[in-house]
Amino acid sequence: MKKEISNGQVFETSREKDLLSHLISTSQKYKLWIAFLLLIILFGMFAYYRQVKYGLIVTAMRDFTSWGIYISNFVFLVAISLVGSLFSSILKLNNNVWAKPLIRVSEFIAVAAIICASVIIIIDMGRPDRFFYVITHFRIQSPIIWDVIIISTYLVISVLLLYISILPDIALCRDRLTEIPNWKKKFYRIMAINWVNHPKQVAILKKVSKILAVAVLPVAFAIHTVTSWLFATTWRPGWDSTNLGPYFVSGAFMAGAAVIVIAMYFIRNQLKLKSYITESHFNNMGKLLVLLSLVYLYFNINEYLGPAFKMVGVEGEHITELFAGKYSFLYWFVQLGGLVLPIILLLFRKMRNPVPLLIISFFVILGAWVKRFLIVIPSLQHPYLPIQDVEESYLHYIPTWEEWAITLASFASLLLIVTILIKLFPVLPVQEDEKLVINTDINPLIIKNES
Amino acid sequence: MKVNRYLYPALKIFLLMGLIFGNIPLAFGQDAKEDAKIAVSFSEENDIKTITAIAVDKTGEPIEELELYFYVKRTFSLLPVGDPFNSTDENGMLEVVFPNDLPGDDAKGNVTIVVKIKESDLYNDLSLESTKNWGIPISLDPLKEKRSLWASSANAPISLITGVSIMIFGIWYIIFYIFFKLYKISKIRT
Repeated sequence: MKKEISNGQVFETSREKDLLSHLISTSQKYKLWIAFLLLIILFGMFAYYRQVKYGLIVTAMRDFTSWGIYISNFVFLVAISLVGSLFSSILKLNNNVWAKPLIRVSEFIAVAAIICASVIIIIDMGRPDRFFYVITHFRIQSPIIWDVIIISTYLVISVLLLYISILPDIALCRDRLTEIPNWKKKFYRIMAINWVNHPKQVAILKKVSKILAVAVLPVAFAIHTVTSWLFATTWRPGWDSTNLGPYFVSGAFMAGAAVIVIAMYFIRNQLKLKSYITESHFNNMGKLLVLLSLVYLYFNINEYLGPAFKMVGVEGEHITELFAGKYSFLYWFVQLGGLVLPIILLLFRKMRNPVPLLIISFFVILGAWVKRFLIVIPSLQHPYLPIQDVEESYLHYIPTWEEWAITLASFASLLLIVTILIKLFPVLPVQEDEKLVINTDINPLIIKNES
Repeated sequence: MKVNRYLYPALKIFLLMGLIFGNIPLAFGQDAKEDAKIAVSFSEENDIKTITAIAVDKTGEPIEELELYFYVKRTFSLLPVGDPFNSTDENGMLEVVFPNDLPGDDAKGNVTIVVKIKESDLYNDLSLESTKNWGIPISLDPLKEKRSLWASSANAPISLITGVSIMIFGIWYIIFYIFFKLYKISKIRT
């Protein structure tokens, strides 16, 4: 067996070296990146300190626009978190072999996004100290309670999905990595829960992994459907729609796929994994993005065609404002730049190469974020009851620097969590499935790593 | 002399301050307001409920043309009753009809009626509160409330409670089962 050595660490195979060496050494670039993210988070924390001290008055939210970019961002982050289920469940159950190397990255992102989404909800509260009233004054009739329940459930399931997929690799890190600090050794030892690639352990893990792959799907659909119900059950133009559930879920999958493209591009380049995440992965992701965007386009047409055809009352005003009013630039940017153009461009093979696909995905993501802004804010500015004798500030919503700082900090936190997870665990399965093959239930056989 | 340089200005300031502070009672005394007294009584005849207020000054003389404000205490603020402006007559008396359709605060129909003197030129502000069972009795018994989406948490629709519970227990059963299986994995040793 040919052994590989990197930074004093002996690896059994070149695959191990490629996938584990970044866990041992920390580059200057990585430290700078972490420092940059921490700086943004600290700035966001300062803005939040001001918000707690002076109250929500430091934001631009008032009586009519009572949900601002915090809630838009919350919906965006929940959407991103759905990507975990797309890869760990939908593509896995459909035996999409090409998607396997992307499963773990998707789970990292899912966990990070759902953590940030939960935090942003508390940030949106004027009295965060009363958060536990949600539990002590529990009302099952409230869609907000449904959201709290489903978010916490999805958080646990996402963590479990991730943990189950990395468990054999954590044990590998525990056994192989000698050149790491003691706390890391201890961390791997605890996290590996005595995993020794025992046939019985492998059998249980496979079973559990299948159960989770099926169980996560309804929960993932539920989390974004319930989030859409927060809007659909509130009587405002633009939200009074039966289409909102599938509209949100399809949009989430599209945004999630774009996030994966961006993540895999940077992971591939920074961790030098070009032979593992290949151009064909980008090609396939491009095709998947087209498919998901087409589904989303279909729901978009459904969402706007009916009200735009009828133009009834405030609903019509809302549509006019989106199509030709003060939000028209953002609206057409989202629909054309973030949806139609990406679909057309990605139909061409050359556009599915890493760099063009990365740029297109950025536009999709930007469009997805702005889309959430357009779902939340213009609707709130058109209540069914007339607005009379109110302060000037109630009529507009332009987020304050505190809101932007906190929102940027939430993105930085998401990136920080993903970066730390990448630094702690291998991003691709080190022990490929073939090495964990079970022949029979009674006498399972593990084919040892011989490569 | 050096002392005089400080003594004279100090003396001037001292005299000036004496002048200012000495005149304060005089200045405010000119605008001093009196306390008024209000007697509130309630009468009910042929379903017409009337609040009668009689205002007198400190000598016991009725106050004419005094504006009084009548309110009923609600959960968050005071609900005005009667005309927007009500003034006492030459006997210092004022009558306001209490509406028949106000919900009370409790099962007895108690309401808190507030009579106020506000921003009068001659009299100090005053607020009198009296409780009367003139409101429509309301039932706060959660057991008598119908099960509905808008009811209290104790009266949520059974179908909703069952449906949500089945879903929650279903998924959390799987989660706990997986935790249990992970525990099993940790107990397997070579």
